Amino acid sequence: MEKETAGKILTGSTILKYLIIHWKCETAEVSKGALLEGQLVISIEALNSKHQANTLHCVTTIASAGSIYGGLVLKKFLKEIQSILHGFSAKLNWTSEEASYSQDTSGVTPFQMIFEVDEKPKTLMTDCLIIKNFLHKIIIVLPKIRFNFSVKVNGIFSMEIFEAENEPTLNLSNGIALVVNYQHYVSAPKFGTTELLCSRIHPVLGHPVVLFIPDDVAGMGLLGELILTPAAALCPCPKVFSNQLNRISSISIFLYGPLGLPLILPSQEQPTAAIFKDTSYFIDWKKYHLCVVPNLDLNLDGDLVLPDVSYQVESSEGDQSQNMDPQGQTLLLFLFVDFHSRFPVQQMELWGVQTLLTTHLSAIFMESHSAVQDSIQITVGQVLEHHHQAVKAHQKLQASLSVAVNSIMSIMTGSTSSSFRKICLQTLQATDTQEFRTKLHKSFHETTQHRFLHHCSCEVKQLLPERDDAEQSTEDAHENSSLELLAGTSGQVGNKRLKGSSLHQGVEETRAFRSAGALSPSEAARRRAEATVSPLTPSRSRTGPGSGLEDALWLQEVSNLSEWLSPGPRP
Amino acid sequence: MAFAPSGPEASFFEVLDQHRASLLATLRRGGGEPAGGGTRLASSSEVLASIENIIQDVITSLARNEAPAFTIDNRSSWENIKFEDSVGLHMISHCTTRKIKSDSPKSVKNFALILKILSTIYKLVQSNTYATKRDIYYTDSQLFGNQTVVDNIINDISCMLKVPRRSLHILSTSKGLIAGNLRYIEEDGTKVNCTCATAVPVSSNIQGIRNLITDAKFLLIVEKDATFQRLLDDNFCNKMSPCIMVTPTSVFYHLKLKGKGVPDLNTRLLVKKLWDTFHIPVFSLVDADPHGIEIMCIYKYGSMAMSFEAHNLTVPAIRWLGLLPSDIKRLNIPKSTLIPMTKRDQMKLDSILKRPYVTCQPFWRKEMEIMGDSKMKAEIQALTFLSSDYLSRVYLPNKLKFGGWI
Repeated sequence: MEKETAGKILTGSTILKYLIIHWKCETAEVSKGALLEGQLVISIEALNSKHQANTLHCVTTIASAGSIYGGLVLKKFLKEIQSILHGFSAKLNWTSEEASYSQDTSGVTPFQMIFEVDEKPKTLMTDCLIIKNFLHKIIIVLPKIRFNFSVKVNGIFSMEIFEAENEPTLNLSNGIALVVNYQHYVSAPKFGTTELLCSRIHPVLGHPVVLFIPDDVAGMGLLGELILTPAAALCPCPKVFSNQLNRISSISIFLYGPLGLPLILPSQEQPTAAIFKDTSYFIDWKKYHLCVVPNLDLNLDGDLVLPDVSYQVESSEGDQSQNMDPQGQTLLLFLFVDFHSRFPVQQMELWGVQTLLTTHLSAIFMESHSAVQDSIQITVGQVLEHHHQAVKAHQKLQASLSVAVNSIMSIMTGSTSSSFRKICLQTLQATDTQEFRTKLHKSFHETTQHRFLHHCSCEVKQLLPERDDAEQSTEDAHENSSLELLAGTSGQVGNKRLKGSSLHQGVEETRAFRSAGALSPSEAARRRAEATVSPLTPSRSRTGPGSGLEDALWLQEVSNLSEWLSPGPRP
Repeated sequence: MAFAPSGPEASFFEVLDQHRASLLATLRRGGGEPAGGGTRLASSSEVLASIENIIQDVITSLARNEAPAFTIDNRSSWENIKFEDSVGLHMISHCTTRKIKSDSPKSVKNFALILKILSTIYKLVQSNTYATKRDIYYTDSQLFGNQTVVDNIINDISCMLKVPRRSLHILSTSKGLIAGNLRYIEEDGTKVNCTCATAVPVSSNIQGIRNLITDAKFLLIVEKDATFQRLLDDNFCNKMSPCIMVTPTSVFYHLKLKGKGVPDLNTRLLVKKLWDTFHIPVFSLVDADPHGIEIMCIYKYGSMAMSFEAHNLTVPAIRWLGLLPSDIKRLNIPKSTLIPMTKRDQMKLDSILKRPYVTCQPFWRKEMEIMGDSKMKAEIQALTFLSSDYLSRVYLPNKLKFGGWI
């Protein structure tokens, strides 16, 4: 990775991380344990460099949109951030106090930071994907923070919003909560006509363990302890009846430091997570009859939050003989490392912990290998045991339905009563016994799955806000209009980008992130209706993984920058 | 027809004959045999049509996107059973039911097994072949798990279709034995003569028996195979000729030792058939313990599990011949031969005392109270302490001659 790019990404992520730490520390006295709430705008404006060929001059702005609770002491923040970023080559600006903020009587303060760097177009594209993944990783543990991320390349504008405020979450300690909507972690399973109706993961929290700092790394004078809390879940929900959920096909590991800050940036060189190259260092996968290998093929350009470590489970011969579907389930493992102290934690101390973990995570984990291994193994074991039980129950059900179908077929095909056979075929609208069997099986499958779903006792703590009907209907209307807008404009986006100059300057083309497997309005309405029956079904969010089609189109345009470099005729 | 007259004099059976006359008079007063309720013999086509209707209902539910379910009468619930003196225990007409759902994790397997056995029955009836419950279990023992599962489902199906098990072409595994003054012809034409020295196995197809011929003065139901064999060895059938004695399947004695054991269906059906055909007095010879009394009650009044077929199985006219608890004291049976009642015995006795039919059997109640008060039980074999052949030489002849039954 180019030094410039590394600098730009690190600058941006550093600022964001430090901002969140600063933000949290400022609000700690007022609302300890509460989730950080607010909105940040990150915008990148890139124009062809006047000094270098095939290079874009990128100006990145990080600003607050609206209020940041608790305020921000600007001068102090600026001084601290400059000291942290002194090694970076990016040009960093801060708008003047008079111009950049106005402190109203509520004491809340907007702010804006700008830094500039030159980079190649392809690098910009990669950077944007990395930043998007970083933001996505943040919102799944800090769901009340909203990021507006916009990119403007030679006048062509696009924006994406990252938020998870209205999604179901699992409260963890110290002011973070894990979003449990499965669509952040895996693509919607392809079940044909059968849909996945439980949209949550059900994390199992492991026993916290204290992490010891190796002597050669210690020396920071930390007045507290590092605590690792693992959390594991299968994704999608294993309690849902489905043929495709019989095997575990992949494992995704996410590493978070204090305050829910990601420890690793995607596509970084990762000495931090070097220990995870040994797939069995912390987990004995053979115990669960899983053959696990590292998966190095991580696609930055996706709607899902990218794991820090990814493993693939190889199919055994036994699996193949049972016609296991390759999609399978993903085991998610979240490793939260937090810092606990009896004393009030200063933000520089927190920053130091974050830096320590970012640079020496492997060494720290190795120092406490046994305890970490036990905690992770037990947590994973519990989840896999649930899976095993679910698989057994599913197999039992499948076997029973198979017996039922065969028995009915035996009677139906053996009957000498033509009227009986005719009625059977007509009832299921089948033309022959083969089709009848297929429809019979399908009908049993559908009726039992629907009922089994209601037995799915998903116990997850939620932070869903209470909303009145007016608000609900307003949001529904907004969702519908968004859907219509997107449905109506998605085909035109590409055209608008191609006709770059035809796009009205400054017109915002708001495109919300859509959940993977975007719903049609009728499907959305049905999901909302089902939500009233099963209150755990999350309300549909405007956010989450982006629209794959739109991103693909935009990236295609970015890659054809030669056209942009020579502006075409204006209409 | 005449058999070799090797029994006692005719006067020996005076009391028995009077008893029979009394039974017949009772029957006439009651308007003959009670009308068969619950199950009725069904033709093959009726059974096939019933099964097809069930399948149609299942498919119709699926077409409506509803999970199909079977509605089964709660056979084993006292609230669904009433007692009638002339019938015994039988199911009420509008009884509570339970649903066997296809979309419930707990019952989906049972749902599937019901369909499985229905398909088996369908084939049996269609092909006019028969199978025992054991045969059905072994068609897929892994699937069924155990014999009890099969037995219960067959009973449920019998109850659901309102036809007796034999109409489903499922036979009981019969190991009962019969001996004495009786001849008949099996359905396949086999001639059976029960007067041979060794007993004859009870037929598996009681429904198909025809041309029953007997001069028997009484029918003795013997609880245990050991006692039955003893009586055979003592030539009881000839000494007390003309008579018939029957014992249910021998395996039940073994099961009784474990606290289980119910008279097999075929033996009950045969007893019922003999009563219906000849109206000869029927007596039971059971151990003086709660289990023996319960077995006797099953013959007489039926069981909860088979209450839906009570009209085809019960013989309310059965009398308790022995071993009576009062006999123990009367005969000075040594206390060393008695066995203390266990807690389970006591619970069973208490349970029987609470049953609806005991209220119309004051003498039985009294005997059970004697047993309960003494907290002791005795096997028939206790009589051997008086003499080895006391049972066949003294006890039974005296009882039969002088009307020592209740």
